[in-house]
Amino acid sequence: MSEAEFTRFWSLCQVAPGINLVAVTILIGRKLKGAPGILVSVLGLLLPSVAITILLTACYSRLEHLRAMQSALRGIIPATVGLGFMTAINIARPLIQESQHEGKGHAAMSLVLIVGALLLALWHKPVILVLLSAGLASGLYQWRFPSKDEAAL
Amino acid sequence: MNLLLYFALVLRASFFSTGGMGNVPALHDDLIARGWATEKIFAEGLAVGQVSPGPNGLWVVSLGYLLGGLRGAILSAIAICLPPLVILLLDRAYHRVKHHSAIVGFVRGLGLAVVGVFGVVLVGLLGGVGLDAASVAIALVSFVLGGSKRVPVIVILAGFAALGILLYGA
Repeated sequence: MSEAEFTRFWSLCQVAPGINLVAVTILIGRKLKGAPGILVSVLGLLLPSVAITILLTACYSRLEHLRAMQSALRGIIPATVGLGFMTAINIARPLIQESQHEGKGHAAMSLVLIVGALLLALWHKPVILVLLSAGLASGLYQWRFPSKDEAAL
Repeated sequence: MNLLLYFALVLRASFFSTGGMGNVPALHDDLIARGWATEKIFAEGLAVGQVSPGPNGLWVVSLGYLLGGLRGAILSAIAICLPPLVILLLDRAYHRVKHHSAIVGFVRGLGLAVVGVFGVVLVGLLGGVGLDAASVAIALVSFVLGGSKRVPVIVILAGFAALGILLYGA
């Protein structure tokens, strides 16, 4: 597999639903050995880590009643929240940079989508509807006002 | 809890999101509303998922175990394997899809909205374990450490686990 091909797979996987790494693994597996290649690749990626996740959770379930575990969780959960905010920024950063590159209107649209989704979530609107509405609004906007690169295609 | 419905909810949340954590807001919404999960269980699933090896996104497996035992975990694992298969269709239509402005916009809108909703969910999770000065400080420090990319996630979590025991007792 060439580097260019790997890069193409990786960029394509950014628009695939679910875990990007699983999608890349599917494409690599198919390239190497078709359907059996997909099965073996996905199993190879997920079987060990899923098994370890289950074991860790099972251990946690047995120990969660201990005071030490509850105290440890009072440290771990806020830390997970902090890391979650960093994940959110990592998701948003390339999308916002891309829209800034396309112009002020696109950048403003990005901010409207983040703030709008935040407000709708605070207002307890169903999340799936919020996500789909944001996707449709953004898709329509991009279709109506394509970037220069897209318009040139 | 109806495990088949749980499977369908994980599948739906994963289909309408990208990345391993993109399904957090939708699942949080569905499971809390049905009373199948509490903020605490949700936070525990996310925490154990962060500690686990492998791709970012296996927190759902941990949540599945906490809610439905081994069957819940296995159903979660299957549900997160299916949505990425759409890549096979996308790959076929690569040249049309990659630069189609409406598709680019749709995926971007989905990602940006996930960020907005994710913020609300995270604040809710923090509130679920007791919002005090110590937990806000821990969240802020782990945010900074995570952003620096110099300290492995497992080390950050182990450090704050130890701090939790020191602060709240064993």
